[in-house]
Amino acid sequence: MNKKITVLVWNRKLQLFFRLVLGITFMYASIHKIIYPGKFAQIIYGYGLLPNELINIVAIFLPFLEFFSGLFLVIGIYTESAALIIDIMLAVFIAAISINLIRGYEFDCGCFSAELMGYEWSSVHLLFRDIIFLLMGGYLFITESRDYDG
Amino acid sequence: MKKRKYVIKELPVIVGLSVIAGVAINYFSPNGISYIGSWDTASGVITAKAKNDAVVREREIMDIRIIKQIFDIGKAVFVDARPYAEYEKGHIRGAISFPPTRFDEQIEAFISAYPPSTSIVTYCSGRECRDSHELAQMLIDSGFSETKVFVDGYPSWEKEGYPIE
Repeated sequence: MNKKITVLVWNRKLQLFFRLVLGITFMYASIHKIIYPGKFAQIIYGYGLLPNELINIVAIFLPFLEFFSGLFLVIGIYTESAALIIDIMLAVFIAAISINLIRGYEFDCGCFSAELMGYEWSSVHLLFRDIIFLLMGGYLFITESRDYDG
Repeated sequence: MKKRKYVIKELPVIVGLSVIAGVAINYFSPNGISYIGSWDTASGVITAKAKNDAVVREREIMDIRIIKQIFDIGKAVFVDARPYAEYEKGHIRGAISFPPTRFDEQIEAFISAYPPSTSIVTYCSGRECRDSHELAQMLIDSGFSETKVFVDGYPSWEKEGYPIE
């Protein structure tokens, strides 16, 4: 019985930790993209995966999806849904990075703006980080629960 | 089962909120972009078409032969907007290194060296690079109204076998 309570308490602590890490990371990451959608659009273009017509639309909406999902995780409402959205986004990022790693495609326009936008991180680092985040999100989605009576 | 039920209800709330915020903020932001960008290199330097976009088609010179003529006449100043390390590796003969990130440090010397009526051609590494446009905009704002952008930049110049150093 005692053991069960300890597990439960640890579970709660871990959930809170993961929520804050994911939530703050996603909110933080979204700010620059929200302020400079044009630069973010250029990065999306750089991945070479989306049709031209969709690049700007994704650049306009995706940062807000990141922001609100992160915010909801931090304040602890709609937690499972926010974690699910974050995991879907991470799955897409992981797929995008992997595809470009496999086809050996690294966008390099030789301009400062792209260097300033996070290209100093190598794709492998990003991939590794995103997989860790994906696992955190998965843990949250599975373990978070609401005590409903009916 | 229960979780699936409430998640299905909540997802549209988060997505909807993001769409509304996205439309609204993009509309009011000075950096807002058009819903469809110009990402086809055939039409010039790529751009998200932001409200305050530095990429202006009228400034672009697409035909490298025209650039070569301007070069041969010898009156225009060629300005290299790429990072200095790239410039050092090779640049159009006679070009000046002037990365937009170092604009504030270099503009005074530039103004004292050249009159505002000088013909200027900026370039960087091609149509996926905006720095030539950013620099052109900054130069025009500083009074150099005769500034043009050589869209294909150094790689194409080098490929043609034109003078480099």
